[in-house]
Amino acid sequence: MRNMFIIARREYLERIRSKAFIVMTILLPVLMLGATILPTFLMLRGSGETKHIVVVASNTATGELLRNQLNKASEQRAKEVTANTGMNRRNQEKVNYAVDVITDTSQSRRATLTEKVKQKQLAGVIFATDEALAARKISFVTRDISSFSTMDDVKSAVTQTVRNSFLLSKGLNQSDIETTFKPVDLESENATGSGNTLTVFFTAFGMVMIMYVTVLMYGINVMRAIIEEKTSRVMEVMLASARPMEMMAGKIIGVGAVGLTQVGIWAGTAALYASYSALASGSSLKTIISIKLLVFFGVFFLLGYILYSTLCAAIGAMVNSDQEAQQLQFIVMAPLIVAIVMMGSIIQSPNGPTAVWGSLFPFTAPLIMFLRICIETPPTWQIGLSMGLMALTAYVLVFLCARIYRVGVLMYGKRPNLPEIVKWIKYA
Amino acid sequence: MYTIELEKVRKSYGTFVAVDDLSFKIEKGSVFGLLGPNGAGKTSTIRMMIGITAPDSGTIGMFGKAFERKSLNRVGYLPEERGLYRKMKVLDQLILMAELHGMSAADAKQKAIEWCQRLDISFKLNSKVEELSKGLQQKIQFIAALLHDPDFIIMDEPFFGLDPVNATMLKNVLLDLKKEGRTILFSTHRMDQVEKLCDSLCLINHGRPVLHGTLKDVKAGYGKRNVQIDYAGDISFLERSPLISKFNNYGNYVEVQLAPGADSQELLRVAAAHSRINRFELMEPSLEEIFIDVVGEHKVDSEEKLQAEKNNLQVAGGRNA
Repeated sequence: MRNMFIIARREYLERIRSKAFIVMTILLPVLMLGATILPTFLMLRGSGETKHIVVVASNTATGELLRNQLNKASEQRAKEVTANTGMNRRNQEKVNYAVDVITDTSQSRRATLTEKVKQKQLAGVIFATDEALAARKISFVTRDISSFSTMDDVKSAVTQTVRNSFLLSKGLNQSDIETTFKPVDLESENATGSGNTLTVFFTAFGMVMIMYVTVLMYGINVMRAIIEEKTSRVMEVMLASARPMEMMAGKIIGVGAVGLTQVGIWAGTAALYASYSALASGSSLKTIISIKLLVFFGVFFLLGYILYSTLCAAIGAMVNSDQEAQQLQFIVMAPLIVAIVMMGSIIQSPNGPTAVWGSLFPFTAPLIMFLRICIETPPTWQIGLSMGLMALTAYVLVFLCARIYRVGVLMYGKRPNLPEIVKWIKYA
Repeated sequence: MYTIELEKVRKSYGTFVAVDDLSFKIEKGSVFGLLGPNGAGKTSTIRMMIGITAPDSGTIGMFGKAFERKSLNRVGYLPEERGLYRKMKVLDQLILMAELHGMSAADAKQKAIEWCQRLDISFKLNSKVEELSKGLQQKIQFIAALLHDPDFIIMDEPFFGLDPVNATMLKNVLLDLKKEGRTILFSTHRMDQVEKLCDSLCLINHGRPVLHGTLKDVKAGYGKRNVQIDYAGDISFLERSPLISKFNNYGNYVEVQLAPGADSQELLRVAAAHSRINRFELMEPSLEEIFIDVVGEHKVDSEEKLQAEKNNLQVAGGRNA
């Protein structure tokens, strides 16, 4: 026990002090923030400004209607974004439309307007003649067809205009029509009381990805460490005082502790960041990540890590170089990758057969069961069974891999085939 | 009082027998040589002694009782396959090794500094291992095996790769330890390096003991007597003399081997009758000659087969489970 502790402590301290650890700890949050913030930033670039748009309509009334609808649509979209992200972005999201109405529908006028758009004098032209409205086919000329926000606004504005003019022609007055189309706010709320749909989705996705990355990374770290001990021949020196079992366990515990430290640092940073933005938007942190979720994260991370790192330890003991390890490593890690691929369909139906079986199979369970717990609490017996199966598998694996490890660490040369490995396991 | 006792020890891996019916005892405070060609079973024997593997049959006793892992805190082992954590600092590395042998970190640190001063490498205490030369790494490894003050020191090819100055330095350290009453086991195929150090030895080949006993007994028991004759004139007639079984002419002198039962005085008389003798010296056979002679009889295997055997030898098992 003492030796195991000494080995684990060495592994922990050497790794925590290494440059690789420090770089990784800082870089990953930066990369993740970059990956989420940068695209949004780029996509929203240009919003908050005023766009000059010309509406070509058969009469002024229709043109005025479209102008109103356009600014209303922009206002509504900004409101929805604010509600979904929990951040006050009303001013950034809102686009002001300066709309000129022209009733000249001639072909020549059409051509000059299109030319103006080309020369960037106009942001766009909407051709909403009566014929076009009747045909429900309205053309919008713009350079900026990749701007989602403008497209959304124009689309909802013309749709509203078409409906509006239709209802007007049927004899309804304008105020009744507006009441009919007044937007309804749908506030979806998780029964367990943790945030709305979008935040649940993002926390679940984020936490599962973090678990995936860390289990994969630290499993492979265990393997690398063992290969390094083999190639540097330090193994035999260690074996003069420590049992192979102590060495393997010490290694797994030490590296696992490094993993927990790293995740802890990330979680702490995330909590700080979240509490900052939560304070800014007035909602509390507890609604996003509950303590229960954090505990489950810890449990499933540890179980998953033990499963995969034991397998990795056995691989490390079998092979002589990183290159040799790579093919085996892929086979062993495949279930993790499958679990990630399955995430989408599990989010769609968290109680479907794929989700249930995936969360019971020990090698995909850490990710999938945790994902299900994030989305909506599965039946308690399933959580219990899943953890029980993982613990049982881990127990058997530790036993088998310790035997492979014991023999493998002193073997150099050819990589063993399956019958040889079975023979190793059978050695007294 | 014996430090270690092996009794009819046998270890096989599948059909390959690594060690077969091996028995020897090492007296406390003595230097013992475990000798043999590559792949003879030396490393397998040592691994069984320190519990990395368990023998199939036979018994191993250490410090007067049956083997127990607690005893390993009193054993220092320098394996043939040297290894250190490349990224670790020298001092941290030494402390780690000593702690694994039951020392406290504080004691280990003090001892490590003392030892590094003794071997002239204290200026490297805070360097990473990978920054050191091969020779310096060897010294670190050597210290790591001795830091916890072991009573039984096992050295597998201790002087391999060292220059004569450093080899002598380490040899002197080991002799000092012997004077302090510690038991030392050398495992090597370089006879010349240990001949002057060993009190007793066991020569093994193909896992079986071939010669065993004190250095004197082995030499006497081997029974070969060589004579060097420094002469003036012509004594080439000796080549055909029935007194001689082997004749080597080195130009300035000849070295002959006496035939079984022949008397050296008789040879001196015959030689003196034909030429002028300046020197007539009865030589003891060197350990190396004995080694080559004995092992040569068994014919050393081809390198390829040795490597295959060596791989098999490494298979572990037993006490570690």
